[in-house]
Amino acid sequence: MKKDYHISNALFVLPAVLMFAIFTIYPFVKTFQLSVYEWDGISPNMKFVGFKNYIDIILADKIFWKSMTNAGVITLLALTFQNLLALILAVIIDRGIKFEKFFRTVYFIPPILSGVVVGLVWKWIYDGNYGILNTILSYIGLEKCATSWLSNPKTALLSVAIVHMWKGFGWGFIILLSGLQTIPRELYEASSIDGADSFKQFYYVTVPLMIPIFFIVSILTILGTMQIFDLIYSMTRGGPAGATEVPISYIYRYMSNNELGYATAMAVIFGIVLFLLSILQIKISRKLKKV
Amino acid sequence: MSSKVEEAKLSSYLILLAIAIICLFPLLWMLSSSLKSQAEIFTNMSLIPKRIFFKNYSDAWVKGKFAIYFLNSLIYTFCGVLGILTIGSLCAYGLARLKIPFKDIIFLILIIPLIVPLPGTFVPLYVLLKRLGLLDTRIGLILCYINGGLAFGIFLLKSFFEEIPKELEEAAIIDGATKWQIYFRIMLPLVKPALATLAIFNTVAIWNEFLLALIILQNPLKMPIQRGLMVFQGTHITEYGQLMAGLSIATLPVLIIYLLMQKYIIKGITAGALKG
Amino acid sequence: MKFKNFVIFCILIFLFSCSSKKSKQEIVIWHWMTDREEVFNKLAQKYSESKVVTVKFETYAPSDVYREKVRAAAQGGLLPDIYSPLGDQRELASFIKAGYIEDLTEYMNTGWKDWFFEAVLQQNTYKENNEWNLKAGIYGVPIDVVSIQIFYNKKIFEKLNLSVPKTFDEFINVCRKLRESNIQPFVSGFGEEWLIDVFSKSFEYQILGEEGMIKTIKGEIKYTDPRWIQVFELFEKMRDEKIFAEGIITMINKDAERVFATEKAAMALNGSWGINVYSGMNPDLKYDVFMPPKIANAKYPLRIWVSSSFLNVNPKSKFKQQAVEFLKWLTEEQQQIILSKETKNIPSNKNVSSEIESDVLKNFASNIDKSFPTLPVVENWKVIGTKCRGIQSIIIGQKTAKQLALELQKEKEKVISEIKLGSN
Repeated sequence: MKKDYHISNALFVLPAVLMFAIFTIYPFVKTFQLSVYEWDGISPNMKFVGFKNYIDIILADKIFWKSMTNAGVITLLALTFQNLLALILAVIIDRGIKFEKFFRTVYFIPPILSGVVVGLVWKWIYDGNYGILNTILSYIGLEKCATSWLSNPKTALLSVAIVHMWKGFGWGFIILLSGLQTIPRELYEASSIDGADSFKQFYYVTVPLMIPIFFIVSILTILGTMQIFDLIYSMTRGGPAGATEVPISYIYRYMSNNELGYATAMAVIFGIVLFLLSILQIKISRKLKKV
Repeated sequence: MSSKVEEAKLSSYLILLAIAIICLFPLLWMLSSSLKSQAEIFTNMSLIPKRIFFKNYSDAWVKGKFAIYFLNSLIYTFCGVLGILTIGSLCAYGLARLKIPFKDIIFLILIIPLIVPLPGTFVPLYVLLKRLGLLDTRIGLILCYINGGLAFGIFLLKSFFEEIPKELEEAAIIDGATKWQIYFRIMLPLVKPALATLAIFNTVAIWNEFLLALIILQNPLKMPIQRGLMVFQGTHITEYGQLMAGLSIATLPVLIIYLLMQKYIIKGITAGALKG
Repeated sequence: MKFKNFVIFCILIFLFSCSSKKSKQEIVIWHWMTDREEVFNKLAQKYSESKVVTVKFETYAPSDVYREKVRAAAQGGLLPDIYSPLGDQRELASFIKAGYIEDLTEYMNTGWKDWFFEAVLQQNTYKENNEWNLKAGIYGVPIDVVSIQIFYNKKIFEKLNLSVPKTFDEFINVCRKLRESNIQPFVSGFGEEWLIDVFSKSFEYQILGEEGMIKTIKGEIKYTDPRWIQVFELFEKMRDEKIFAEGIITMINKDAERVFATEKAAMALNGSWGINVYSGMNPDLKYDVFMPPKIANAKYPLRIWVSSSFLNVNPKSKFKQQAVEFLKWLTEEQQQIILSKETKNIPSNKNVSSEIESDVLKNFASNIDKSFPTLPVVENWKVIGTKCRGIQSIIIGQKTAKQLALELQKEKEKVISEIKLGSN
């Protein structure tokens, strides 16, 4: 009987595993191996270079690591401000409020909009010549702050980060809200009978139960934000002068210029960094769970 | 005490409203631009068009061949999301609760492509599809889409499944339920919020997808709506009004799906089923 | 139950839509030129009606998606009859080497090649002893031509009594007067690196000449040479005179076009396609074009950017002969006139230039012979990228000309040593 158990169990995972192996793993492995070659994507000859690409990237490619830092900055901002905002909004909605449906719908509009629209519209908002942002600033007397937000190397990265957070907080909001909604109301009632106010309730009831959800949201934020590309491409193309270059846009540059081996190697290194970050996350969340 | 509560409520409303306005603004801009003529878009910066120009919509619909592209997008999105939800939840349940050999390795392999963004994986995928005879077919593209959403879907669902107390399953087994019945009747309903989240997530992703569709498909009758939008962004000339109209048309279905899915996220699980 | 039926229904729908068979004698052409889609389709229909072969144009855009589709198809052995790799000479060379591009020299030598502007045909031609060791010959067919000069707003110039500048000093003077009247002098899509390269090259060729450019690419002239520093200092001067429009270094060309069309800048470095674009954005705009300014004491003549859309033939096509015939028909005078009228691009067939309607376009066409020469070597993309981003930095005051020169030379030396390693 134990044998039957195994086979029919396998049926659960078989379709997914089969599909994944064919359509994802196979292309993945084929592309992965390019990292030890130099290849332009066209000629029938590939030149084996061993770890040369990796060594060049780790030791000599300043722009790659700068792009990692840029992505890291945006990710940190997203982890803190974006998710904090999502959490606050989710908590307020969860507590019950009028026009709940309206707010829930509206907050999800940014994630639904395609990258094309978002890039275009925000470019117009930030525009140094016509932009609404500068117009608003001059209405409230802050003309001095007006600048070409996306062309000024001091403000470019932050400006793009804000758009990313604007587009992204809706996801965190939904996941956090669905997590909050699964906490049984009795727990809150019980704790308020015990004399806890809203803040104590939040700290002792909500947070512990939400840790797995927090973990999901933060890992998704890290993975999603570090891989930011569409917005960069439509708003700044990595400019001004490389101030908003991020790993994916940099990898894409190499790929468009037919240096596939190098581009692939960069992606692998990038993946390793993300992997380490994820493991760090898992360890932190396990520790918090114990507490 | 009550004034403090009212203060808190008021500031809550203000925050909610402020964020709502910031969220709505670009959408309103897109809508208002879609109602302006090309010349007006560049001269009139306000949200309210001087003359309402519905022609953009009819032009967009015809020029962008939206009818057929719309239908295609619906097919791809529906089948894709369905596939991800079924195949993904089956796998997630298996990994979360059942005895399966190499469970952890399977999970790891699923996660890796999420983390390593290899460029150009579509090239071997293209060659593979050609060998399987799936190039320029709807099935081929749908299989790619389902596949694209599996990793994240399984990741999310597995976490949600793991949070469900084992007692529920044990009670059902005592009652004589098979694994399939447990999966279908008990586990799936309990993760409705996650399923709804995934439905929305993947609807948006597949609906907005562009690169893979253009590379794998050739027959223009099979193209999705994003390809229609491409027509308005010429090599040199961009018809902004029509583009905005096209984008508005394209955004509408996703919004509708979200509105429908909303209630599943909000309907909590009956109290006591979780950590009761 | 109803749900299951629905699913089966859906499956049936798309099973129905499985691939349709190809009709006989059909030539398929892949292109990226959405602006020309309509006129291409019209011409294709006209051709198909009178011949045994049907011609089908398929559009894939934007151009980077087009390139990726071509590359995937090349790997999969599924290239269409006519297409283009849409890359520079180096990429085209890789395609030719891999056997994806037909050598058209023999066809061209039947007198066909004399139809075209020489400067234009050069761009898909390889001379003897080229860098890539390719057999010398002509490998593509030019369909139409575009060129870049400086547009200027006639109304603003008249109002301020400005005359069209010919030298660099005159250019700067014009910009000063514009600034004094609170008008932004100059705009362009400098967020796109290639445009910066175009502008820079019009100065580079004047100061270094064709020979100097070749020597630099070969490494014989360094980027720290005073001549190169002179080029970069021109950008410093332009920056100091505040000629550049707000936000210019992250503008894509479409944004810059909007700025010029709404008269927020008086001059724009843009291509001949601008004629179409500006008339769509602001039909009342009065403009004309002039050549980039001449540098005082420059040793070499002024050159401008001229480019052509090329189509190439797949050697493995089943209808190779017919494909070439179609391309010949497409470049005949009658079709070229139609193309030029509808797209407002310069025809590639030089015998037709007198038929061009727009005066501004005629102006462009008359200067085609001054195009940048097609060199037998091509500079490495990383070096060009560093140069363009460096110029962006100069424009926003982050770098000096000398700093850029040093940085550029370092990058160049790195690239040279990599090539040396590679050939070992």
